[in-house]
Parts: sequence; structure tokens; C-alpha cells
Amino acid sequence: MSKTSIWTFKLSTAAIALIPAAIGINYLGKLFAGLLKLPLWLDSIGTVLASMLAGPIIGALSGIINNIIYGITVDPISTVYAVTSGAIGLVVGIMAYKGWLKNVKTAIVIGLVVGIVAAIISTPLNITFWGGQTGNIWGDAFYAFLVSHNFPVWLASFGDSFVVDVPDKIATVIISYFIFRGLPNNFNTIFRGSDKIEEL
Amino acid sequence: MAIIKVENVKYKYPDTDKLVLNDMTFDVEQGEFIGLIGKNTAGKSTLCFALAGLVPHFFKGAYGGKVLVNGLEVRQHEIGEISPHVGLVFENPFSQMTGSKYTVYEEIAFGLENMGIDREIIVNRIEESLELLDITEIKDKNPFDLSGGQMQRVAIASVIALKPSILILDEPTSQLDPQGTEEVFKVIENLTKEGITIIMAEHKIDKMAGYTDRILLIHEGKLIDFDTPAKLFSREDLQDYGIIAPAVTRISQSLGIQNKENGLYPVTLKELSREMGDKR
Amino acid sequence: MSTMTLYVEKNSILHNTAPLTKVLYVMVSIAITYLIPEIAFVLSVAIITLLLLILGKVFRKIVPILGLSIILILSIIIVQGFFHPQNQTILFSIGFVTFYKEGLSYAALLTLRVMNMIMSFGILILTTKHDELVEAMIKKGLSPKIGYVLLSVLQLIPQMRTTMAKITDAQRSRGMETEGSLLVRMKAFFPLIGPVVLNSINITRERAIALEVRGFSSNQKRSFLNISKEYRYQTAIQVILWLTLAAAIVWRILTWLS
Repeated sequence: MSKTSIWTFKLSTAAIALIPAAIGINYLGKLFAGLLKLPLWLDSIGTVLASMLAGPIIGALSGIINNIIYGITVDPISTVYAVTSGAIGLVVGIMAYKGWLKNVKTAIVIGLVVGIVAAIISTPLNITFWGGQTGNIWGDAFYAFLVSHNFPVWLASFGDSFVVDVPDKIATVIISYFIFRGLPNNFNTIFRGSDKIEEL
Repeated sequence: MAIIKVENVKYKYPDTDKLVLNDMTFDVEQGEFIGLIGKNTAGKSTLCFALAGLVPHFFKGAYGGKVLVNGLEVRQHEIGEISPHVGLVFENPFSQMTGSKYTVYEEIAFGLENMGIDREIIVNRIEESLELLDITEIKDKNPFDLSGGQMQRVAIASVIALKPSILILDEPTSQLDPQGTEEVFKVIENLTKEGITIIMAEHKIDKMAGYTDRILLIHEGKLIDFDTPAKLFSREDLQDYGIIAPAVTRISQSLGIQNKENGLYPVTLKELSREMGDKR
Repeated sequence: MSTMTLYVEKNSILHNTAPLTKVLYVMVSIAITYLIPEIAFVLSVAIITLLLLILGKVFRKIVPILGLSIILILSIIIVQGFFHPQNQTILFSIGFVTFYKEGLSYAALLTLRVMNMIMSFGILILTTKHDELVEAMIKKGLSPKIGYVLLSVLQLIPQMRTTMAKITDAQRSRGMETEGSLLVRMKAFFPLIGPVVLNSINITRERAIALEVRGFSSNQKRSFLNISKEYRYQTAIQVILWLTLAAAIVWRILTWLS
């Protein structure tokens, strides 16, 4: 595979057309997780897959647009987290490009990093917009516990996001990794952008 | 003058070793209706993509030789520049709907808007295409609410609205039910009267025999033959290429009914009955 | 085929306001409630937003949307009421549970902001057609490709919902267990999502081809089939909104300085 820069800004049509699909997959992941009553959201599988297939920019766009669309069609609150979703796409795309998609173990590392980054970015958002909470019952209980034990708000809020995000993102990246591995190889080439044309 | 010139074209998809197009050369004259036949892996779709510029620009890979469409060398131009000259329609009608438009009318406008064509002209072009494809009645429907045959006609209309001089149809009926197939063939027949050059890959050999001026037979990336249906389907070795001649031809062969002037077997019912009439 | 939309077809002043003016209202009304952390002020902004919703004849439609955030709001009230670090003044106690004034007034501020945020979004999304909004944004310089993505997602998601129903039925009839231990349910996730992913990536490939041959990557300036509607007084309203935002920023800076 001829390597091209991951930051190619002339995005291919195939990569652009991948964004709606990624958002649809996010949505389905969330629905299936709900249907199976899994204790996770699994609502960013599409974003993570798009990053693996087409790089960080498409991944980030998928994440950002995902939350905007969800905001204007279902729940306005989710718009606030567009930044977090964008960062998830960015991190997965970069780490995948740097070779962290080798096996399940390295995929778990990606998931861990993604979870921590997501928590770090969500924390200031949560503090600014809702005093540090997430609206997730377990996370908020943890927040209340920390605050009542005199931890500072920012740490309590980070703890709140952390317990919510990290397990979910690790699971999301592992699932996406298996799906990605299962895709036929010829699927992937067109999303990768500007491979040069060889002369025959 | 030839409207399509293909010279020694070779092509490989990325990460593969096989030449999917292996040194192909042929010309197509303006206004001809060309049938493209061959086995599933013969390279029909790839050839269609090569004429529309998707090979090599969209798929990348390794490319050699030259394709000229309407005087434009495909290798040197972007798909956006080629698409006003060459329209492409393929199998799956569902994936050819853009998904961003809410009515058939707007769906047809999509390409015209992308090309920055004036609004008045857009409206005219849409009306014309609706008429030509016989879909005026469904113009206000959501594209995804249509039947396969209707959707495929909308796909053709969307491409025809760009006024290409060449239309490439890659198995446009293979995912349709018999009624949808019938609808699509009927409008394709209309299009031939418009003087547009058509290249159609298709498995329905009997249909091809009736409509086409010439047939291009390919096998494993190579051009085997390019001739009139009568001559091509009279070949003895068709089966080697995974092709079964039209029913009419096979019947004539087994009954020994040949055209008296050129010794070829009839390929359509009309020809057959003429030859039979002569016999009586 | 349904489109994912909350748009309500009505005739009101808000329906006859330019999409971008409404976008600006959403941004300004949210921003000022965070710039000026005074309950009375935030309350009045929220009331204005509420009145606008009533004016737009879509008030009833906002209730379920607000309902989605009920857990967040309750959580804010309870947690801040109990545990806000500055809690000092006891307001009231229910049994052993004590609510503090500082925490509750902070919770009230946050709750009003959240409600204002949701309601002002409501103004935009309940009274504006998606395609009109996106076209207006493209005319203002949004990339037409991003515009395409936005519009196509809205049609794609209902399609995926249909696909999901089909797959769930098919897998269930093959005896896949969707109930049982966590492990069993985790395992069931793959056969559910796998086929959809494969299918949608396949469609993406083909759709990209269809878009390409219809000039999607052309660098031409786009033209538009739909004529944009003419709206009156938009510049005046937009200027007022910008001025409001500027005033809030000035207020903020002055409070910092003093």
C-alpha cells in the first residue's frame, strides 16, 4: 500500500459518502445495544470504523456531524458533545495510521486512549453546561460521591465522565476492530484517498 | 468519426496482480448501440468504468493505454469533466439515488446543480428527461418510495439530464423483476431514437440481439470479437466464453435455417420468420 | 419513506423567518445565558424563547424533547442541591435529606440554561425545513459536500431503522438469543450489526460512483433548483441579535474588571 499523508484535504467522494453510513451505523449500534439491554451505549462504532477506513479527518467529521444531526433530530443536548465525538474520530484515525490496529491488544489500547481523551474533553463541557454532571445515573452517583468527599468539582466531573466513557469506548473500539478485520480487502482501498495511479 | 476510441487499454485494481483489462482496442461510431457481453469476471464493469473515467480516477490502480470519449482523453481529465460527455448507470437502482433529495424532480436536478447550470435550463432538462423516461407521473414522489424499475428509470433520467453524448448501462436490469426489466428496456429503446450512443452490458442475450447494432464480446480482460449480432452469435465457440446464443439463433442452428445471402443464423424472431417464410 | 425530521408544517411568524436568522438566535440565546450567570436574566431569556415557541405554534412539540433531558435536569437538581461545594444555608429537609440554598439556586440556573438551550433549538428545528436550511448554509459558504452529508443522513437513518427491523427478525428466526446473560447478549451484537455494516459500506461504494458521475466533485459554483424564499426584516433582526451578543460580552468583561 502506497502511504499517503493522513491529512489529505482533498477528500475523495467515497470517503465523503462514508460519513452518512458511519452515522447510520452509530445509530444502529445504539439501537442494538438498547435492544440487547447492554450496559453500554456503543453509539460510536460508525465513527470509529470510518476513522479506521478513511483516516482521522473523515472520522472527526463523522463524529461532529453525527452529534449535530442527533441534536437537530432527537436530542439538542447531544450537540454539545460534537467536540468529543470529533476527537474520538481524530484519535482513532491517527492511532490506526500509526499502526495501532495490529491486534486485539493494541486495539484495546486505542479504546483506552479514546476513552480517556473523550473524558478529558467532556469534562470542561460538562462543567460549563451542567455543573459537571453527565446525566448518566452511575456516573452522576460517582460524581456525587466524589463531591461529597470534598474532591474538587473538576476532578469529580472527570471521574463521572471517566467511568462512563472508558468502558464504552474500549468495547466500541474492540467491536469496530473485529468488524474492520472482517471486511473484504477490496472494500478498503477506495476510502483511503489519493493513492497514485501507476503507469502500465 | 469514432466517438469512442479505446487503444491498448490495460488496467489492474489496486493491490491485485491480474490485468482486468488486457490490451483492449476498439472504436465506436456516433449513434451506435453496442452490446457488451462476457462472463461475470470478464471485465465488463471495469470496461464500463474505464469509459466513464472511474477507471482510473476513482479506483486508482495501474493503468496503461488510451481511452478517448468525444475527443477527450479520459486519463487527462477529471471525472467531473468527463461526466457531461459520458453518462453511467449501473445495476443497483437503490444505491444510485443520492439520498439527499426528497423528490424525483429534485433528484434529477442533482447533477445539473453540481455543474452549476442555470435554473431555467435545469427545469427544462428535468422536464425533458421525465418525459423521455416516462416518469412524469412520479415526479413528486420520494425516490426511495419507488419500485425498482421506476428507480432505475429515475437513475437513467438523472444521467440523461446532463445531456451526455454517450450513455453506458452496466447491467441495468439485473436486479429488477420482469416488469421493471420491461419498463427499462422500453425507455432504452426510446433513447436510441434520440441519437445517443449507447453501450450496454447485459446478460439478457435475446434482448441484446434485437436492439444492438454491434456486440462486443470480451473474455478475461481481452476483446474476443466485435461484430454485428448475426455474425457474432453465429460463432461456433461462444460457449468457450460462457455465452449462450439467443434462443432464436439456437433453434435456427439446429433446424439449419440460415440467411441465404450471408449464411448467418437469424438472431431475432423477425429474421427467423422471414427466413422461414422464404422457405415455405 | 419517512425522513428524520421534527419539522412541523404550520404557518407562523417563525416559519416565515429566514433559517439563518433562527440559527443565529439559537447561538445568541444560548451564549448569553452562559455569559450572564444571573437567574433573573436567564429566566427572562428562557421566557422569551418560550414565547417565541408559542408564537411559532409549536409549543406542544417541544415537551417530548424536553422530556428527553429530564434525567439530566433531575440529576442536576438533586446532586447540586445536596452536594454543591458552596452549600451552607439549609433551605429545607425531607427526612434525612437536606437541600441547600446555594446548591438549589445553582441548580435552578443550570436547569434554566438547559431548558433555554433545548427550547431555542426547538425554534430552529420545529419551524425550519432541513433542505432549506442546508441550502441557505451552502449559499453562505458551507461546502456542498458537507451539505450533501447532512441531508443524506436524514434520509438514511429511517432506512437503517427498517433494515434493523428486518435483520432482528431474521436473526431471531434463526434462533439467535437476544435475552439471557450479559455474555450471551454481547455475542448477539455481532450478527446483528455485522451484516448492516457490510451492506452499508457496499452501498457507500456504489453511491460514491453514482455521485461521481453526476458531478459531485466538480469545482463549479453550484446552482440551485429551488429558489430561495424572500424574507423581510432579516437584516434588522440579525443586527439586533449580534448587538445583544456584543452587549452580553461587554457586561461579562466589565464584571471581570470590577
